[in-house]
Amino acid sequence: MLDRLFGGDTFVATTRALDAAALRHQVIANNLANVNTPGYKRQEVQFEAQLARALAQRDNPCVRACTPISAIKPQVVTINTTSMRNDGNNVDMETEMVQLAANTLTFEALSDRIAGYFSGLKAVINGR
Amino acid sequence: MSIASSMQISASGLTAERVRLDVISNNIANVNTTRGADGQPYRRQQVVFAARQAGGAFAAALAAARGEGRNGQMTGAGVQVTAIEPDRTHDFKIVHDPGHPDADANGNVRLPNVEPIVEMVDMIAASRAYEAGVTAINSAKQMQQRALEIGRAS
Repeated sequence: MLDRLFGGDTFVATTRALDAAALRHQVIANNLANVNTPGYKRQEVQFEAQLARALAQRDNPCVRACTPISAIKPQVVTINTTSMRNDGNNVDMETEMVQLAANTLTFEALSDRIAGYFSGLKAVINGR
Repeated sequence: MSIASSMQISASGLTAERVRLDVISNNIANVNTTRGADGQPYRRQQVVFAARQAGGAFAAALAAARGEGRNGQMTGAGVQVTAIEPDRTHDFKIVHDPGHPDADANGNVRLPNVEPIVEMVDMIAASRAYEAGVTAINSAKQMQQRALEIGRAS
């Protein structure tokens, strides 16, 4: 019963995306902390593409069994191929700040969505 | 957990940039110091930053067991100052000033290898990086507050 309340695709996908946003904030904070570290290579979080693929194929029973939405984990990858400066560091402060602002807004939108889901449930339970 | 550790990461960046600012201030303060503890003129100091890896072997094994950080890709744990090293690549400046107490037989004085303009540029870079860290901490705080509002009676 409760599984069905909290196991819907939308709810699971939203909570996963919230986890990914929290991890992405951590990665951006680490990139910013290392903006002056020689040789540091920036990291980023890959998540949305996998989630979109799983959501697009969710009606396929095989895909649903093999890679359920709840199993999708955000991946941290290191970008080794570029360099911003002579010391080998490839952190671009402007890009990171834009991503930080965008990620904060994403996090707030997602948590608003989850809070809205809960208040909808509450309205149904109370019947008003 | 995750948001709290991103605050720790940003805090490590703030600490490192603060140490760098301290060293820069010390260089500027000693721009005319001709007699140090070893009898030599003051030698410019530089900080060495290194990326800090999360927790070492145990944390890596734990994360792997929990299915995090596949392929050895974990988020870093911020930055640390590994050393404060003297700058030996630039020579002391030599100025002709026979009246100076530290002048040699030819009337030349050796002055520290501190370039005030270089120090100023470093100082701006350090304070910008510090500001970026403060912004990241404020964002983390905002996100954490918003997460606490989930499930609160509205």
